[in-house]
Amino acid sequence: MKQPLHPALIAFAVVVFFFLVAPLVIILGAAVSDTTFLTFPPKGFSTRWFVKIFEMAAFRRTIVTSLEIAFLATGLALLFGLPAAYALNRYRVQLPSWLSTVFVLPILVPEIVLGFSLLKSVAVGVDMPVFATLVAGHTLIVLPYAVRVISASLSSFDFSMEEAAISLGSPPIKTFFTIVLPNVRSAVIAAFILAFITSINDVSVSLFLTGPGVSTLPIQILAHVEQFFDPVIASVSVLLMVLTVGVMAVVELTLGLTFLAK
Amino acid sequence: MTQPLTIERLSAHYGKVQVLEDFSLKIEAGELVSLLGASGCGKTTTLRLIAGFLEPTGGTIRLGDQDLTRLPAHRRNIGLVFQNYALFPHLTVAENVGFGLKQRGAAVPERAARVAAMLERVELTDLGDRLPAALSGGQRQRVALARALVIEPPLLMFDEPLSNLDAKLRVGMRAEIRQMQRANGTTSVFVTHDQEEAFSISDRVAIMQAGRIMQFDTPETLYSRPANAFVARFVGFENLIEMRVLARKGDLVEAEAMGGARLTLSQVEFGAIPDAFVLGARPEGLMVVGPDAPGIPATLGLRSYLGRAYQYLCDSAVGPLTAQGLLGAAQEVGSAARLQPVAAQCCILAPEA
Amino acid sequence: MVKRFAGWLMSTPATLLVLLLLLVPVAATIAATFGDARGPFAPYADFFGSAFRRAVLWRTIEIATITTLIALFVGFLTAFVVSRAPGRLKSILIIAAVFPLLTGVVVRSFAWLIILGKNGILNNFLLWLGVTDKPFAMLYTEGSVIVAMVYLFVPLMILTLVGVLEGIPDDLLQAASSLGATPAATFRQVVFPLAVPGLIVGAVLVFTGSFTSYATPQLLGGERQMVMGTLLYQRAMVAFDWQGASAVAAIMVVVTVSVVLGMTRIARRLNPMSS
Repeated sequence: MKQPLHPALIAFAVVVFFFLVAPLVIILGAAVSDTTFLTFPPKGFSTRWFVKIFEMAAFRRTIVTSLEIAFLATGLALLFGLPAAYALNRYRVQLPSWLSTVFVLPILVPEIVLGFSLLKSVAVGVDMPVFATLVAGHTLIVLPYAVRVISASLSSFDFSMEEAAISLGSPPIKTFFTIVLPNVRSAVIAAFILAFITSINDVSVSLFLTGPGVSTLPIQILAHVEQFFDPVIASVSVLLMVLTVGVMAVVELTLGLTFLAK
Repeated sequence: MTQPLTIERLSAHYGKVQVLEDFSLKIEAGELVSLLGASGCGKTTTLRLIAGFLEPTGGTIRLGDQDLTRLPAHRRNIGLVFQNYALFPHLTVAENVGFGLKQRGAAVPERAARVAAMLERVELTDLGDRLPAALSGGQRQRVALARALVIEPPLLMFDEPLSNLDAKLRVGMRAEIRQMQRANGTTSVFVTHDQEEAFSISDRVAIMQAGRIMQFDTPETLYSRPANAFVARFVGFENLIEMRVLARKGDLVEAEAMGGARLTLSQVEFGAIPDAFVLGARPEGLMVVGPDAPGIPATLGLRSYLGRAYQYLCDSAVGPLTAQGLLGAAQEVGSAARLQPVAAQCCILAPEA
Repeated sequence: MVKRFAGWLMSTPATLLVLLLLLVPVAATIAATFGDARGPFAPYADFFGSAFRRAVLWRTIEIATITTLIALFVGFLTAFVVSRAPGRLKSILIIAAVFPLLTGVVVRSFAWLIILGKNGILNNFLLWLGVTDKPFAMLYTEGSVIVAMVYLFVPLMILTLVGVLEGIPDDLLQAASSLGATPAATFRQVVFPLAVPGLIVGAVLVFTGSFTSYATPQLLGGERQMVMGTLLYQRAMVAFDWQGASAVAAIMVVVTVSVVLGMTRIARRLNPMSS
């Protein structure tokens, strides 16, 4: 049915996908190497570098902090973003058209500039505690996912369904939860996941906002790499990848991964 | 220029599903043939096989002396008009029409001249610089037609080209396509599910079902003398009554239906009648008459007003039938009547095995 | 009465969040550069007066441009293959592209440390092949930063373009081939022009992403290949020169915003669907 592809084109794509996947396989190999230095292919097999992660207080602490921040920031972003996405679609006529652009700004402004500005104005300027500033910064950078993903889904939602429910005697707020929300459920899950992963992996904003005793995992990894070049980093990376795989499995089971390509 | 299309023993599969089996069809040079059938009957598959978008698992397709079967689509030189027109949205009307000429390496001035001439033929001269998005449905249809015609292909194919137009435009475009095809004398294949469209435009029509041709004939023959029950039903013989001959007296035949209803039919009017046969009748081919007249006894049910007559859903010993009655004599639901076959709106079929 | 304000009521908290945490702080950063004690443009005079910082800006633009061009080329061809792949294979390929995208920047950049290092995989391989008898210094070069950046952004480009290419109806490709276009001609004259808007979106994403990146150039370029992102950090957190850092930040915002606006304009002009 489709035009057959040129073999050279297929070969090219194969090389590209090898290029995409190979580095991740290399990390996996390096993580289980029974050596004190990073090497691939692994020499011997050992899981001691995974154990080592949890023996190091700095990693233990930052893993917990990163998870706390990711959950809080994602939750807050949904709390703020869901009503905004709803309003942008339901009340399109009464709201100005520039309003939706506001929620693109956190993507448009370079993250590293945002991080530095938050440091100056919020962390130092109003003397906000380190942890709170980190949560605020992360909430801001994941907010666009919440608003845009949910908004895209709501844009094809037929709001006359909501009116139908209200005309049948369902109160408006209850209607939102029983009629609107179930219809955009997959978008909410997708937004949650994208936001969570973005937060967990963030470097540029956290870079400026971490303070004494409070750091995130990616920042800790960066700091560790500058001093040591041992397999601990590889095993932490694997840990992060496992987290990603877990999250992807959830997406696959609920929505199908091709959803993310849209 | 124009050439016959010969398809022999073609078969095709989608995965494991066989969609076309042992399919043969010969279209004469300059003829317009429609493939008519419901969706899934294999008509579009046939078109795509001829165009080269699908590979057959067996059989051959020849155009004149040339074997197309294994030729890549872009070398088949077939003008194709798509259902949704498939105009290139990034090219102007003139560029769309000139696309095929460009592929053939025509020089720019020649291309421009031929495109201009073609646009004039389809009356789009002033719209050459527009993009397809700025055109109406009818205009897009003309561009699609012009684009296929300008390469002067020995074979033209249409894939339900009128289904996206409103009813009035459809009839107009139909006539235009027919005139254009006649003027060029190009062999053409027209795929549609619309019987009226197929009959009005074609020299011959192939009625298809489940990947097979049920009957391939002129519209007149198909309409009045269907070859089998499927085609009969397709062209509107809603009532099919199985009968057998009891006695013959000259031209007259006395036949009995299941349940004992008897009819006397004239072979002068109905044509030759075999000993066992199926009487096919359109609703207007079963006339409602009084309960004492000869005919199939029936009880009248729901009556609907058609403007020129009343139509009745009837219950009879041979099963439910649809018949028509005169406007002057509206009958009530539940009244008894007889149904008399009208030869001009009936056909005689051989019984199915 | 409530109805008239319902839209505002629901959108205001999120709007305020962006206003207070983004617009005000970023505006303050940019404003600060004009409030210098030595005169309104002093931090910019410092920046452009320094050959080192000029070189950093130039290097960043160069890296971002090269990364974008490579990602466009690689991403487009790969996305074309993915978009024409049969259903199941297509999902697998999309997963293979999504997975690196969801893996953090630090992790993905770190992989290239293992590959490109002095005792890294690539050097070991070259030694084993006998191409060289002593390892190449590949890390901390512009090339190593670009390779890692391409690795970082190709999945994004692929996913952006697969969406665009899948939106091109099969009918159009068949129409082209029925009119005699070879597969190559169809690709050039139909697929490519229709993908242009997607290519521009992808280019904007990759350019701004690589122009403002920090972790990758920090890990693979280090001090030697300083770019705007690492310069900003160095000014702010090592030198504690906040005015200088603010100037770097302001320049980054200006470049990013002008690229986005400029490309959007070009996209509008090139958009095949608008007359």
